[in-house]
Parts: sequence; C-alpha cells; structure tokens
Amino acid sequence: MLDLYFLLALVVTGFVVGQYLEKRHYQSIYKRERALVNLVTTSSKHPVGDIPPVTDRRLVQGSVVVSVDYFKRLLAALRNFFGGNVRAYETLVDRARREAILRLKESCPDASQIINLRIETSSISKGRKNQIGSVEVLAYATALYY
Amino acid sequence: MKYRAALPEHNDNVSHEHPLKEFFVLLAGAIGVIGVVYLMLGLFIDFAVDYVTPEMELRIFRTTDMIWEESGVQKDDERRQSLQALMGEVGTCLKIAYPITVRISESEQINAFAVPGGTVIVHTALLDALASKNGLAFVLAHELGHFQNRDHLRAMGRGIVLLAIFAALGGGGTDLSDMLVPVTDYETARFSQERESEADATALRALNCLYGHIGGATELFEVIAGSGNDVDFSFTHYFSSHPAARQRIAELHRLSEQLGFSLADTLPK
Repeated sequence: MLDLYFLLALVVTGFVVGQYLEKRHYQSIYKRERALVNLVTTSSKHPVGDIPPVTDRRLVQGSVVVSVDYFKRLLAALRNFFGGNVRAYETLVDRARREAILRLKESCPDASQIINLRIETSSISKGRKNQIGSVEVLAYATALYY
Repeated sequence: MKYRAALPEHNDNVSHEHPLKEFFVLLAGAIGVIGVVYLMLGLFIDFAVDYVTPEMELRIFRTTDMIWEESGVQKDDERRQSLQALMGEVGTCLKIAYPITVRISESEQINAFAVPGGTVIVHTALLDALASKNGLAFVLAHELGHFQNRDHLRAMGRGIVLLAIFAALGGGGTDLSDMLVPVTDYETARFSQERESEADATALRALNCLYGHIGGATELFEVIAGSGNDVDFSFTHYFSSHPAARQRIAELHRLSEQLGFSLADTLPK
C-alpha cells in the first residue's frame, strides 16, 4: 500500500513540476528565438546570398541535456505496452533541439551568418533499466564573419 | 531566391493533446488487460487443480518436509504431539486424503498456515493467544479446510501466474510493473479473502461435528480484533489477504445461526 502512495506522490509531483518547468522553458525558447531570428542560419554548405569577402570563420556549437519527469516516464512506459507514437517524449526532444540551436546562436552573437547547421541526438541512459530517460542534443555549424 | 528570416507559425513536432488524457486512457487499458489475463489464468489454475490428485500432490511436495526441518521449524516435542493428537481428532470430522503433520514455529506473529505436502505450521504466538482447546481445534480445522478446498495449490498456482505476468512486463521493479502491482494485489486479495471465508465455513462445520457445538470458533478472531492489529475497513481492506477479524466473527455468527449450531462452554487447553 505504501508503495502505491509513494508512486502516486512521484507521479503527481512529476506532473505538476514537469508541466510548470516545460511551460517556462517554452516561454524562454519563444522569447530567445524572436530575439535571434535575424541571424541568418541555414543547413546549406554555401553562404546565403551575395556576401562580401569573409574575414573569419569558426566552428560553433551548442548542446543541452534534458530529462523527462516521472509522469512522462510512466506515460512512455505505458505507451511501450501498447505501441504507437511516444507523445510524452515529443516535447522533450523538441525543447532539446531548439535549446541547442539557441545556445549555438548565443555563442556567436556577432556572426554575420551561420551555415552548415547539423544536429546530433543521443540518449544519455542508453539501454539501462530504470534510468530516468534523458536526451542530449548537440548542434554544430560554421559561423561566418564578414 | 531571397532568405527571409521567420519563426515557425506553429509547432507540428509535438502533440497538443493533454498528456493526462493519454495517461488515463493507456492506464485503463493496461489495468484492463492485466486484470483480465490474471483473472483468466487464475480460473485456469482452479480448473487445473482438480486434476492434481492427492497422491500426485504428496509425491511432488514430499521434499518440502526437508525444508521445514532445515529452516529450524520445530519437529517434535510434547506441545507438538498434543497438537498433532488434536489434529487427529479434527481429522475424524474433516477427511483429508493424506496424513497431515503439524509443526510449531517460534514466532511473535499470531498465525498458522497450510503448506503443500500436508504440513500445517502453527506459530507459538498463536498457541499462547488461545486459551481453549476448541479455539485451537477451530484453527486446525481452518487449515484442514484449506487442504480440503485445495487452497494451497490454488494460491501457489496464482503465485506462478503472477511471476509469469511480471516477467512478461519486463520483470518486477520496472515502471510498468510498479504501476500495475495494485491491480494484481487487489485480485490476489479478493481471491484470498474468498478462500479464507470458505475455510472458516468448513472449520465451523467441523467444530460442530467434533464437539456438538461451536463454542471457541471466534476465539482467535476476538483476540486479533482486540489487539488493534485488525485489518481496518477503509481503503487497505481491499488489499489484505484476510478479511477483517470483526467481519469474520460476524460471518461465523450468521452462518451458525443459518445452520442451527449452538454455543456451549469450551474445554481448557
């Protein structure tokens, strides 16, 4: 019986705190994306448009590790039982990707243009049982200065 | 083509359905599936138990005798012999197809159980708690009732089924199994309480057959109800292996009235 109450407490805490933190993170993402929208960023290997001679180029990167809350972990475990889209983890990877790109942009605010943007995703607790699922997203690109 | 800086209009990479909705739908589904599987396999066990003859049971579980000896469960002394003699008396009213051995185990817990292979284990605390021979006879008859109803085999079969279910869910201690334990616990408790009540009824008839009255039948339950260790009637009641003692007393009174059994003075131990 005690186990059940404990589980319930974890799930409720995970849900309430997790939802709050996620909402706050998204608000921060929206705000910073708006602020950095004018920094040209593409996955193209070539600069966009006609540009003056490049004076400097740098490898830039941004990475982030995000974990799911207990509620989402249980939701994903239930989903594994029946199969289908693991919706519980969608916001996790979405937030991680956008945060990584934002950190990359914030690392070079003076760049004229960012090209060749690539994203890598890796699971932190791969294959280990009963580990909180967390994901690392690494974004890397070339920053051009002109 | 000109590059135009813009933010996405909406986020298509995440679902906008409320996660709680998904959670409850999936949870209800999982509870339903596990509940039905456990119930069906439990019924199959009940069906299979009828095919296990007492001879077969004895052959399979003969070795368990060794385990009790090694685990320090007392084999022989005067107290055990008198208990064994009482078991013989009760046995005249409640026939079991194989010999039953009573063993006494040192324990502070008021308890007794029937284990496969024809062994009844009685805790010392239970012996100390009872003052009358009739009360003791009821307890022994209750355990014999479990043998007669083959409850020890049913419980064991259900235990194996549970293990199989949790192994299929990825072993105990995973998120999924933790969440579904209450479902199987509830069904286990429901089944166990039903078997306990059945054994109580069998024991009541045996006690009346032995002494001509049912004095002492509720002695143990009165001790438990008075000790403050009784199962309470709230939420935990649904997960307990035994019905609450007060409930068992009431049920025994109801049954004895129905069967026209009378009460008389009990014999000392």
